[in-house]
Amino acid sequence: MEIILEDFTKRFGDVTVIEKMNLKIREGEMLALLGPSGCGKSTTLFTICGIHRVDGGRVLFGDRDVSRVPAQQRNVGVVFQSYALYPHMSVFENIAFPLTVRKEHKNTIREKVAEIAELVHIGELLERRPEQLSGGQQQRVALARALVRKPSILLLDEPLANLDAKLRLEMRSEIRRIQLETGISAVLVTHDQVEAMSMSDRIAIMKEGEILQVASPTEMYQQPINDFVAGFLGNPPIAFLDAHVQDGSIHLLDGKIQFDFPGSSTPTNDTKIRLGIRPEHYQPNNPIQIPGTISFVETQGRENLYDVMLDDGSILRSIQSSANASIEKNTKVNWGIHPEKLLIFNQAGLRF
Amino acid sequence: MSLSAKLGYVFIAPALVLVAVFFLTPVLLTGIFSFTNMSTATGITGGAYQITPSLLRDLSDQGFEKATLDSIGSESYQIAKATLQIAREAGSEPSLLAELEEEHLGQNFTSRREFERFLKKLQNRPRSTRELKSTSPHFRKSLINERFETEKDLKAALTELQTKLTPDQINKLSQAAYTGWVWTTDNFYKMTILPETKQILFNTIIYVTFTLLLFNVGFALFLAIATFYLPKGQAGIFRALWLLPRISPSVLYVVLWKWLTWDTGFLNAILNPLGVAQRNWMLDTTLNAWVFVVLINGFIGASMGMILFSSAITAIPKPLLYASEVDGANRWQQIRFIILPQLKWPILFVTVYQCLSLLTSFEQILLSTDGGPGSTTEVWALAAYHNALDNYWGNLQYGYGAALALVLVVIGVIMSFIFLRFFRFQELVRQPRIEQ
Amino acid sequence: MSQNFKNWPILTALVLATVPIVLMYSYLVLDTITNTEPGGILPSSFTLEHWRFLYEDIEGKANIWQVTLNTLVFASSVMLLVLSVSSTAGYALSRLNIPFRREFLAGVLILHAFPSITLIIAIFLILQLIGLYNTLIGVIIVMTSLQLPLGIWIMKGFYDSVPWEIEMAGLQDGASRFTVWYRLVLPQVRPGIIALGVFSFLSGWGEYILPTVLAPANNVQVLSGYLASLIADDRNFEFNLFKSVGLFYATPVVIMYLFFQDKLMNIYGGGTKG
Ligand SMILES: Nc1ncnc2c1ncn2[C@@H]1O[C@H](COP(=O)(O)OP(=O)(O)O)[C@@H](O)[C@H]1O
Ligand SMILES: [Mg+2]
Repeated sequence: MEIILEDFTKRFGDVTVIEKMNLKIREGEMLALLGPSGCGKSTTLFTICGIHRVDGGRVLFGDRDVSRVPAQQRNVGVVFQSYALYPHMSVFENIAFPLTVRKEHKNTIREKVAEIAELVHIGELLERRPEQLSGGQQQRVALARALVRKPSILLLDEPLANLDAKLRLEMRSEIRRIQLETGISAVLVTHDQVEAMSMSDRIAIMKEGEILQVASPTEMYQQPINDFVAGFLGNPPIAFLDAHVQDGSIHLLDGKIQFDFPGSSTPTNDTKIRLGIRPEHYQPNNPIQIPGTISFVETQGRENLYDVMLDDGSILRSIQSSANASIEKNTKVNWGIHPEKLLIFNQAGLRF
Repeated sequence: MSLSAKLGYVFIAPALVLVAVFFLTPVLLTGIFSFTNMSTATGITGGAYQITPSLLRDLSDQGFEKATLDSIGSESYQIAKATLQIAREAGSEPSLLAELEEEHLGQNFTSRREFERFLKKLQNRPRSTRELKSTSPHFRKSLINERFETEKDLKAALTELQTKLTPDQINKLSQAAYTGWVWTTDNFYKMTILPETKQILFNTIIYVTFTLLLFNVGFALFLAIATFYLPKGQAGIFRALWLLPRISPSVLYVVLWKWLTWDTGFLNAILNPLGVAQRNWMLDTTLNAWVFVVLINGFIGASMGMILFSSAITAIPKPLLYASEVDGANRWQQIRFIILPQLKWPILFVTVYQCLSLLTSFEQILLSTDGGPGSTTEVWALAAYHNALDNYWGNLQYGYGAALALVLVVIGVIMSFIFLRFFRFQELVRQPRIEQ
Repeated sequence: MSQNFKNWPILTALVLATVPIVLMYSYLVLDTITNTEPGGILPSSFTLEHWRFLYEDIEGKANIWQVTLNTLVFASSVMLLVLSVSSTAGYALSRLNIPFRREFLAGVLILHAFPSITLIIAIFLILQLIGLYNTLIGVIIVMTSLQLPLGIWIMKGFYDSVPWEIEMAGLQDGASRFTVWYRLVLPQVRPGIIALGVFSFLSGWGEYILPTVLAPANNVQVLSGYLASLIADDRNFEFNLFKSVGLFYATPVVIMYLFFQDKLMNIYGGGTKG
């Protein structure tokens, strides 16, 4: 089902946390709501499921305006960060709870629970209590409980935050698998860009209650609309260099390095700009060379990450395969960038 | 109204009703009653108007005109519709009554003898002396001991009886004749002039100060710190033992103390062979009475402080304690410089809380010394109880007792507000996170 | 805690201070089944005669079983009422969007500290006015009302510590607020319910002033009043009998205390922590 937020506004007392947000979740897609902590992701999620009331605008499920519909009648499945399993009930009772409050027949309940348990691979755990389960298993139970009554949409609030690194990888693909198998529309709230990129069809990136850009992971990585989005996606992160435009060229490091402005709409003279350079695009064989000194080396196994300090003190990052011999700190290097791969931002942080 | 507000009202309503009726109303009523002279004699509902012989004596003592009082007090015999009716209902001879009604209606006689002499001369006169004697009383009219439900009735009766009475006199009479309670500030006036007040105030201060300092705070601190240094098992036993007085029914608990101190009690059984004369240790001297009052209450009161202080001490980070030991602090220094500073708030809390409960508690004193010997251990709360609910003379002084209690209620209200400060109230009233 | 300090001075001091308690309570048990020579310290003979009050009425006193039944009815009713009223009101104050929630809570806190015994005179007169004087129901309702502020306060504390997510999940699963409370939240606060239940039962069981003042009649007498009247009566002055009745009276208390000691600690500490 398609979910639409229309001019959605949310206030807590005098504080407006979200103002006139517009967002559409397409049928069957997994949309990641990505943003730093405190930006209003959970607030948005809680509004979709009806725990929060809207202070302005509308929430539409398909054509139906549910803004005033209580949570119980919205048919939304939610997986909470803490899983919120009912500690006094067995796994079976947990999963069956949404069906028992709907007074479904015992046999129906048993069938449905078995079916969903099969899907999330917890068939053998049904008699256990939540405290006897590992984090990953609890998560699966929470998913099963959210999905068992076939909700219109599945909401996941930081589903992986409470898991250790190994389980997080496993559950990342599991959640995605389950979402794809059920074909349900889903919203994934996370502050982790890797999660967002790897699990979702599209990402909506949020900052201070505002949605900056909605796009597929690749598109957002390659074509961020502003420096915040560019900086938020990518690990190791993008580096920025200050520059300005003169006679159709970009001048770097007080003009010591000059090259043609890529693209057609060249800014006027003396326009100050910022160049965003991703680590994979600052490499030994690129055409425009920018010399510097290696100030930091981090070995990441398959790859090495280098911080290179330029003459004016700014830093560029480069990531290179560790198949090449690693380079010592304080070595002078003369690596380069590619004009086509640059992300160029104006003073306000927007892309040219 | 939101869904949860509806459920909220349903959920909180029983509590609100109960608290309003049996908690808030009593607070108000204590204030109201304290401005009345309610007692067993006046009753608690309204009263009636009644002129009694003793009232007339009192009025005469107060200088009310003697002749007037005599005439109010005198009786007369009247042949009137009302008296005839009474006689008819009582079954007097109808022919006699008919004759009286037809020929003598409205006649008055000033004494019984005169009236009976008159009756004997009638045509249908009573046939026997017995009948005469049983008929005549029905015609008696007297204000004495007659109950009037309203002031108006009494005044009407007075006017009818004695036309010479001035309105002023009538007012005075009816006021004096009222048997119910009236509004008055006498209780507070009485409280300020009675010497007992000073005594119970003094007693209360002694009781609260000594129990609070020696036991509820002092000994509680000792218990908490001492058990802290003991192994877990031993500490647990001592804490459990010291909670016993608190959980035991108070009547039983006080019986045990009585057994300890009674004439033939345990103390005497031990001390007698050592040459100490047998006596009731609890009541033989004022000093002893106080010692036991403080002990009995202190043994109960120590447990609350013990529990609170213990949990505050346990919350002290262990490294802090180990570090101080490594630094060479002895136990006293560790207590003085590390433990006690952590207990500042709990101590203050216990002091305020227990001060209030001691001020108003009287159950154990009531059961042990009952304020004796004499009234040397009678504290304020006990005095209120004695006056209003359990006094020796049987005429319970609700009004005066309420006035005494009101003093405690006012102190209670003030200290409860102080108490609010101990809680981080903002945190307690966080907005609910489900907005339904 | 520490091995660096010697324990024996502390232990000695504690033992000395605790002697009266140990003495009183051990003789409480001992004296009910023994006789002691006048002036003696140790018992001289075994007997069960002090327990005769169980099967024959003491002269001028009510039947012990009737009194015990009254006490049981009184204490259990107080417990049930306090539990049901506090567990709903505490939930409303902790979780529901009621107007004046703040004010209600301040009221509960103030009353929690308020010395309710000062109100006994007014309550006595109120019961006379509404005709509940000398009835068990009257004392039960009064006792419940006076315990409510503490009960609500304690239950609110327990509710506060239940994760919001559990309730949110319940709503999403389609349960009403009531169902969420009853089936999901209430089971989480079981320790609170047990603690408060035991506490109110024990308070009711041990209460002396309220029943004595508000329901002094013989047919509604409770054990506290029975024991007190036994002692006040000069005709049967016999400590061994008092103690037997006392032990009979205190046994349920001690048993409950042993079972629920940890839970009770919190409440006897002033109910300041949930
Ligand atoms: N119930 C609430 N009352 C007041 N402020 C809130 C409440 N819930 C969230 N906020 C505020 O709203 C902002 C967004 O919170 P949230 O949606 O939880 O952020 P996140 O993106 O980390 O999930 C934060 O600044 C937070 O402090
Ligand atoms: Mg969040």
